[in-house]
Amino acid sequence: MKLAAVDWLFIGWYLALSIAIGLYYSKRAGRSISEYFLSGRSLPWWLLGTSMVATSFSSDTPLAVTGIVVKDGVAGNWLWWNFMLGGALTVLFFAHLWRRAGVMTEVEFIDIRYSGRPARFLRGFKALYLGVPVSCITFGWVTLAMVKIIQAVFGTSGTAALAICLGLTVFYTTLSGLWGVVATDMLLFGVAMAGSIILSVVSVEKAGGIGALVEAVKAAGAGTGKDYLSVIPPLGQALPLAFFVALFVQWWAVYYPGAEPGGGGWSAQRMLAAKDPRHAVKGTLWFTVANYVIRPWPWILTALAAIVVFPGLTGAAPGEMESAYPRMIAFVPKGIAGIIIASLFAAFMSTIESIINLSGSFLLNDFYRPFVRKRASEKHYVAVSRVLVLVVSLLGAGFSYVLGSVKMGWQLVMELSAGIGLVLLLRWYWWRVNAWSEIAALSASAATAIFLKIAPDNALARWLGSALERAGFQVDAWGVGILLIVAVTTGAWIAATFLTKPDDEAKLLAFYRKVRPGGAWGPIARLNGQRYRLQAAPFAGWALAVVMTVSLLFGIGKLIFLDWAGGAAYIAAGAAAAFALSRIIARIDWEGQ
Amino acid sequence: MALGFWGVGLPLLLFGVLFCETAAQRVTVILLAALFGLVGTLIDRAGR
Repeated sequence: MKLAAVDWLFIGWYLALSIAIGLYYSKRAGRSISEYFLSGRSLPWWLLGTSMVATSFSSDTPLAVTGIVVKDGVAGNWLWWNFMLGGALTVLFFAHLWRRAGVMTEVEFIDIRYSGRPARFLRGFKALYLGVPVSCITFGWVTLAMVKIIQAVFGTSGTAALAICLGLTVFYTTLSGLWGVVATDMLLFGVAMAGSIILSVVSVEKAGGIGALVEAVKAAGAGTGKDYLSVIPPLGQALPLAFFVALFVQWWAVYYPGAEPGGGGWSAQRMLAAKDPRHAVKGTLWFTVANYVIRPWPWILTALAAIVVFPGLTGAAPGEMESAYPRMIAFVPKGIAGIIIASLFAAFMSTIESIINLSGSFLLNDFYRPFVRKRASEKHYVAVSRVLVLVVSLLGAGFSYVLGSVKMGWQLVMELSAGIGLVLLLRWYWWRVNAWSEIAALSASAATAIFLKIAPDNALARWLGSALERAGFQVDAWGVGILLIVAVTTGAWIAATFLTKPDDEAKLLAFYRKVRPGGAWGPIARLNGQRYRLQAAPFAGWALAVVMTVSLLFGIGKLIFLDWAGGAAYIAAGAAAAFALSRIIARIDWEGQ
Repeated sequence: MALGFWGVGLPLLLFGVLFCETAAQRVTVILLAALFGLVGTLIDRAGR
């Protein structure tokens, strides 16, 4: 595909605007590391929530969704929609606690929650682990995905444009810190969504309009025995294990960037940067709605149109299914194609800038400052932060050459930490969890994942697989692996918790007073003289948030497919749940207890 | 930030009018351009 001069004009103009916004904030970001990594803790809910969803919207996300829809239909998206359950949990139970904790990073939480040498080790280890390998793998897979998109659209000639885009992104992110990241994220998310909406309209037209598209997709499904348009997983038949794992295990057990149980990584960074706990809660709720309700339908429509436009796509290799998304760009008229390409650059840039700023925060705040140079000026720490951000960018870019495939990257991250979610949730609500609990969970999860890589066909996996088959599941190796990792990890960290001593009372008491969590804090609550209780309202709020998100997601889908009555019913249910949820959020005292 | 939204919305409007080939495409791009303009205005007001 060859772009016209007007297309390049739009891309160049959009890049210049993004960089100008980023650089505008560089002076403010240079004042202190709190400004550089947390925007001075002054972000309103709409800015932090949009920044979360912009980061989550990567250049490879539309391709992954296209691959899922072409292979398993719309319902296949439950493989990632399940994370909305964890997202809603974070809104009601964790966002305000993060803000109350007042730490600089997710890793610094260890310092205020746990005591002794294990806590110091855990903080240093996690700073390096999350700051270097995890960040570089994520950077690598996002960049690799973008390289593949660019090559699918332009051939190798687009790689120079990508290198320029990457270089400029690293340049303004290094200078402008989180201020520049969240400000540009607003624009990048807008451009990314605009591009995907325009592409979906062009794609549906190419498939003959929405009515013809629905009929053609139904006909394609009749040939393969699949209902491509259904939004409900195939619960009535032998349930694929991957779906069971997604719906009942993955969202609370698996630490996945952007969907960490209880919040973590760049989502925790934005909660910590909120003006106050209420803004953290509202921003995280906005992220959940935008991420699961607003983003998916344009991609799904493009994927369904691709099934019609490219006959034989449903039987193609996974890579070919995914590349149907960039192939649809060929049908976009001159002058508009530049907007679509800019939208892919926007998705890429918004993720990259967040990854490098976050990894810099771990390396500076949780490694350099506590272990290398304890007392230095803010100016010094900001300068070191900028160097660290630059170093991580170079390492990540190098890693994109080493990484074999995009899927290899995210599978690696997901499998290595597949069982640690529960300990991350309970560390807020159970006084007995200590640093050894987390160390045991991390070690057991990684060890089991590596064992399963070396010996995938072991006796334990075979036994679990046949037991699940007898129970009526369609078994797959990935689902069995995740269940094994979660079981071993959970057993290991619970055993470690009871075999080791509790943390210092003084440390636990200080944490309890500062964060004021409810839950199982018996002896510490007695020491405190005042017990903070878990109320019923957040539980009701969680259920309502899930009902609202699912109803609005389904309702928009029904309306798109011209099912007016079904769409109206779902939207009405979503609106009712949203109203009830807003009442609950307004009544809870997020700042106090 | 507001300037950024206006800065994207304006060329979007121009390109939509000049280059879209069908009515559906034109309406979509013009509505998106209007949305960019609106968000830019809201951000501008929030900043004041």
